[in-house]
Amino acid sequence: MNDFINIWHYDGDSAIKRSPELEIVGRSFLLVEREWRTGPFAFADLVWQGMVGNALVYGLAGKDGWRLGIEGPIPDDLATKLPLHRDFGGWIDRVGWKRAAVVFTVVSALVIGAALKVPEWAAPFVPKSWEAKMGDAMVGDLGGRICHTPAGDRALAKLVGALEADPEDLQVMVANIDMVNAAALPGGKVLLFNGLVREAKSADEVAGVLAHEIGHVRERHVMQSLLRQLGLSVLMGGLDGTAGSGINTIVSMGYSREAEREADDWSIAALRRAAIAPDDTAKFFAKLAKAEKAIGGDKENSLIGYISSHPMSAQRRDIFSGSRDKSIDYRPALTADEWAALKSMCKNDKNVKGDGGLFL
Amino acid sequence: MTDTPRTPDSAFIFHGRWQQFLPIAATNLLLTLVTLGIYRFWATTRERRYFWAQSEFIDERLEWTGTGKELLIGFLMVLLLMGIPLFIINFAAQALVLQGQNALAGILGGGAYLVIFYLLGIARFRALRYRLGRTYWHGIRGGSDDPGFKYGWSYMWKTFLGYLPFGLGIPWAMGSLWNERWNAMSFGPHQFQSRVHYADFFGRFFLFYLLPFAIFILIAAMTFAAAGLTSGGMRGVGAFAAVGAIVAVVGTYLLIGLVALAFYAKFFREAVKALDLHTLDLEFTARTMDWIKLLLGDAALYLLAGLVAALPVALVVGSMGLFDGLALPNPEQISPALAQGSIVGIFLVIILPLMLVGPFIRYRHWKFFITYMEAYGEINLDELTQSPTARSKHGEGLLDALDVGAL
Repeated sequence: MNDFINIWHYDGDSAIKRSPELEIVGRSFLLVEREWRTGPFAFADLVWQGMVGNALVYGLAGKDGWRLGIEGPIPDDLATKLPLHRDFGGWIDRVGWKRAAVVFTVVSALVIGAALKVPEWAAPFVPKSWEAKMGDAMVGDLGGRICHTPAGDRALAKLVGALEADPEDLQVMVANIDMVNAAALPGGKVLLFNGLVREAKSADEVAGVLAHEIGHVRERHVMQSLLRQLGLSVLMGGLDGTAGSGINTIVSMGYSREAEREADDWSIAALRRAAIAPDDTAKFFAKLAKAEKAIGGDKENSLIGYISSHPMSAQRRDIFSGSRDKSIDYRPALTADEWAALKSMCKNDKNVKGDGGLFL
Repeated sequence: MTDTPRTPDSAFIFHGRWQQFLPIAATNLLLTLVTLGIYRFWATTRERRYFWAQSEFIDERLEWTGTGKELLIGFLMVLLLMGIPLFIINFAAQALVLQGQNALAGILGGGAYLVIFYLLGIARFRALRYRLGRTYWHGIRGGSDDPGFKYGWSYMWKTFLGYLPFGLGIPWAMGSLWNERWNAMSFGPHQFQSRVHYADFFGRFFLFYLLPFAIFILIAAMTFAAAGLTSGGMRGVGAFAAVGAIVAVVGTYLLIGLVALAFYAKFFREAVKALDLHTLDLEFTARTMDWIKLLLGDAALYLLAGLVAALPVALVVGSMGLFDGLALPNPEQISPALAQGSIVGIFLVIILPLMLVGPFIRYRHWKFFITYMEAYGEINLDELTQSPTARSKHGEGLLDALDVGAL
């Protein structure tokens, strides 16, 4: 920096640079270069533009391109009259960026907290008719991939009726998709994928999984998670893709785990009511636990325990097998004939479409 | 009073230093994170203010006067006009596919694609207009009074036509669109004039058509080498073939990238050469080799950031191995808030260095741009008066959302 103050000026109309002196007149100033002079301008109208080279540059409110550049040590009588630097933007410069960062962090935490909690009490207020329409819009009849046979439908209805006393609003379907999975969708729709039904050792096992999904419906987890995902993706939309979705996933994981636990509780209670033995469901989780062990997730305190969307399978196995009650006279969920009808439902349905082309 | 500026070796000089830029990038990153990304519009503004102020043209630095608020408004406009309709269309199309209405879903998707294409053209135009309108030199700015709607149509049909005859029309489309864009722009009272002709860079474009032959030769050479080794009865031929296949695949990608770069370097040189502002001739001197160095530098930055990010992870995993599981607390027993907090913390340690790469790549690219820009001729400062164009109130929203470069 120079030892002397150096002032330059553009008037915004032409590109000619001037090197005037600045004469302070109360709250205003004049710019004077030999015979040429301009002003007066109010200090209050100056707008900080930034550092350009060594110069502090100011604009003038309402005058496009007007510039005042000041280089070198600024005398006190001038410094007190010049406006605030506006480096960070808005009020951040007034309070300082560190303090602003703290305020932002607190506000962001509160907003995220609200986005996570609000769906829990808001979901029950979403009318069921809306939810049903959403469910229809989302899946419909899955492009003709829902399996039907008279005997299979009867067996499925019996299973649902045993688990849920009031199944009118539920729509449980077996989809001709070869995946070991099941899903609860908006509008009380529960999808059992044919892969799961075929691989299951018994109707009891299917009952446990089915009850878990019905649990999601009854606890209104589906709407909750839809609302939560919506809220989070709007919130994180501002961040870059990776960071935003990463944080989004991590935060919602914890909540989905809580929901899974609630659905398990519901499932256990339903199995107990229906006098269906929980052992085969426990074995199902034992099988999953083995798969987790293969990727190093057998220890309860392993990293996978932190990032999984579901509770650890070994734990779920223990909870289900522990729920066995000697005082209950367990009966098979379905008769052998019924079970065979359910198992072969997709194979025997001549009209159902194959699962090719759905997940392209 | 006529002030003829002195003529240094290059009309454009970049004065920035990365040590000066680091605090700007770091505070931007922090504020962006704690505001869940909303601050990024102001971050962009701070970044550009530094880039522009460090760029000297002849005798004076450039000045960026855009604001974060106008970028935010631009973004919100895009969200309202595009984001929400697109979200609904996407949802509807997925539902249609699931219900087996593939044709309807296709029409819906195709229509949405066309609209996006049109808007993309307008966005490119407006981004250039916005940037010129916010760039000052000697207190004078640029701009355009053209809203760019016509350019959107040109962008659509010229690009479409360019791709039709085996892509042979692409150079014509690029040159023609460049001219159309720049001829609508002005700085001060002067109109830009661009007259680039596709013949000036079509030769370089032909490299793309030679590419299949080069790839064929590469694969053939690999096959022959493998065959030669087999007949020679050497062992480990399988491994050699695998390595050969990898070399062929990676080589193919590299070749495509190199050809694209060589073409773009030539295109950009010719396009800027054909661009005049009143008595000023502009030129861009970077050759393919300079572009390669630029991109290699970018890759090195990513590598460095990746190493920095991997260090803490390697330490944690390493120590867990040493102490047999380093007893992380059972996630079922600690509060979910604490578990999530620690995960977010680890995540940030990994992601922060990677997120710092972005600003520095923009820094390098701006420096590259300024370093290789040249201008010849003279400017009569008496004639250079304020631009009469209207300044748009909002920023480059759409372009920002779709992430396209303006220059």
